[in-house]
Amino acid sequence: MLDATLTLKPIQVKPRNTETLVAAIDTSSIKIGETKNGVLVAIRGANIWKQNKHYRYIRLGPFIFHITEENKTEVYNTLQKAYIKQQSEQNHQHTPNLTQMPTRLATLLERWLQAAAAKTMSNSLILFDGSLTAGTPDAPANVMREILGNAREMENAVLAFSKMTTMRLNGNLITDILSKCTPPYILELAGLRVKPPLIPFGDIYVARLSKGNYAFRLDIDKELSSQEKIEAVEKLIGNDLLSQGYPETLRLAHILCTFTANEVIAMQHFIARRYGLKMINRPDMHRLLFGPFGKGETSA
Amino acid sequence: MKLYKKEGNVVQILSFPNEAAEKGDYLLIEDAEAGRALIAQVIDVQFASIPGVLEELLRSLPDGGEIMRGEDFDPLEIAPHITYIQDASLLICKIRATIENGENLSPTSAWLPSRSQSTIKKLSIPTLLKLARVDGELPIILGGTKDASLLTIDASSLDGRLNIITGKKETGKSHLSKLLISNLIGYRATVVVFDLNGEYLSLGMTSDGKRNALYDKIHVLTPAQNFKVALKQLNLHVLLEILIHALHLPGTSAREFRRIWQSLKERDMLTLHELGEAIRNWHCNQHVRDALFSRYYALVNSGFFTDNIAEATLLEECLFKAKEQGSAIIVNLRNTSPIDRQIVVEYLLGKLVELLTSWKIKAVFLFAEEAHLYLRETYWDDIVTRMRHFGIFTTFITNQPDTIRENIYRQADNIFLFNFTNEHDLEVVSRAARVDAETVKSIARDLPPHHCLVLGKVVRDFPIVVKVRALDIKTMGETRLFFKNLN
Repeated sequence: MLDATLTLKPIQVKPRNTETLVAAIDTSSIKIGETKNGVLVAIRGANIWKQNKHYRYIRLGPFIFHITEENKTEVYNTLQKAYIKQQSEQNHQHTPNLTQMPTRLATLLERWLQAAAAKTMSNSLILFDGSLTAGTPDAPANVMREILGNAREMENAVLAFSKMTTMRLNGNLITDILSKCTPPYILELAGLRVKPPLIPFGDIYVARLSKGNYAFRLDIDKELSSQEKIEAVEKLIGNDLLSQGYPETLRLAHILCTFTANEVIAMQHFIARRYGLKMINRPDMHRLLFGPFGKGETSA
Repeated sequence: MKLYKKEGNVVQILSFPNEAAEKGDYLLIEDAEAGRALIAQVIDVQFASIPGVLEELLRSLPDGGEIMRGEDFDPLEIAPHITYIQDASLLICKIRATIENGENLSPTSAWLPSRSQSTIKKLSIPTLLKLARVDGELPIILGGTKDASLLTIDASSLDGRLNIITGKKETGKSHLSKLLISNLIGYRATVVVFDLNGEYLSLGMTSDGKRNALYDKIHVLTPAQNFKVALKQLNLHVLLEILIHALHLPGTSAREFRRIWQSLKERDMLTLHELGEAIRNWHCNQHVRDALFSRYYALVNSGFFTDNIAEATLLEECLFKAKEQGSAIIVNLRNTSPIDRQIVVEYLLGKLVELLTSWKIKAVFLFAEEAHLYLRETYWDDIVTRMRHFGIFTTFITNQPDTIRENIYRQADNIFLFNFTNEHDLEVVSRAARVDAETVKSIARDLPPHHCLVLGKVVRDFPIVVKVRALDIKTMGETRLFFKNLN
């Protein structure tokens, strides 16, 4: 994204207590081990909604895949076809490598969950984790367009929260910029231009929804009117808990789908028992070469 | 089960939910390649430190403290595996012995079995007892173990030994001592019981009040009633012990008493009346006379002394009968004052030593309940050292373990330990030389009523938990209750 002539317009919001269902979707992935042929990957997704002051959930997974160089294209294409009914001719080129596979498989599941929520819920707020920018292999524009279109048809408003952003204005991260307003408020980013092939499907805001120093990038479906966008934010703060400025529904979605170490051990146990797959422990070269100065490959 | 860690004589074993093991269980850690196996006893069961468990628990309760409701679509059925891992436990075990060549036991824990190749399985109590050779010709069935087998000890392992039965109130101490007594009598042993609360008086009766097989072998001696002693039967040494230790007679007065006694003895005038007259007329300091008189009246008022020889023969009769056929002499101290109790006990112990020294009786099993209430300080060491050589084999029964001296615990051969929850009590008992402190503290704390941890020579130093078997004996010594039958 480019930040050519960005300006920030503060908009004060206030809680709107009209009872509205708030739903959130998140997925997570983890590499649970390596075999001599490839990697073992687990993904899980969660859909949380708040209704009558109580949170409810549907959690899907874990789904475990043994991905090898030989089967990766087939696995990815099959899932892409099944989840988002897309299979372009270029898919072979777009098949991720083994390292990217966990994230990409989780994204497929996330798109499917988002699509399902957009079609089945009505008059609700649907919260996504991340942004509404499409045009990448894991966020095809047509898929995002369809999800948002379906959501609008059902009179839902889609809001996407990013915990991290790299967007800067005058050298400062947009989430570090303060307004004279007192929270809750949003700052509208006007004049944003995006480099192709990226397509922004949402208008971008900085949301500071509760007191404290926490601000997040917030994308709201572009096709909604300005009034509908502000109303959506106001309904969100009127219907969900916003501890540290982040919606509780989305936080729970994240918590419920994240894998704990205990679950990883359980999945390794399951794989060994059910399929007799033998996992290999590759030596950590950083540790091996640098001893206490090698902090492990992940932090290298 | 998997061997996880070994530190000294403690091994940690990872156990999964389908491999239930509890405190007190024995495990066999077999290293086939080394041709050896470790016998280890579980002394504690902890949760295995599984990474991520805290997160797992935290996320199960995010909805205002209530469990969040929802649906899990888990097509691969991973959830049972998660529970399986989450419920894994760590067994903390003490190594008790090593088996070599499948049968030779040695107490070593110096070798390290293979972590990857060792097999771990439960060792049943009968197999353990067989390996440890806990058997003999004089079996006493103590009760059932957790794996439904019987724990049988040999009566000869109590012979010549110092035993302690301890545990908090109402856990079954007296019941166990009754069981031991009845079995010892069955093997024609002589048993003397210092019965503080009258709990043993009905040892010869069944629970419905009928006579049982032991009826003729139970002799209840109640001081001042059917248990009296004539001065003529008394050895001066024994009487001086009573005067000095039970009645605290000063040394100068004791010397005068010795002279009075010898004077009366020479004239064959050892009666209570003559003793009183002699003190009255004896040429001595008035303070000495007063001191002697006060002790004289204490003796007279106890009702324990008589001039009628015919009234004072029961103890010896009972002891001689016991020598022939085995029996228990129950010394009923229930309604006896603390001073009189000491007089009786001093006399009885002195008499037993006298009879044992002269080989008139062979040996005596002495059961002493709450001995601190009647045993003088100097007797403790006497009982565990000197008197043992004469043939007095004591079993102390107490619910206050700190009333028994530390050196007694150190020298105890067998300890029958019932439940204790108090740290201080456990600390005291754990000083026993025959077992490690961790075992005592960990297992005794969780013992249910009537369950006893048996330690020492009777079980060849393999601590075993047993549920003491029931006895068809009339219960006595029940606490009097105010609210009982009030409605």
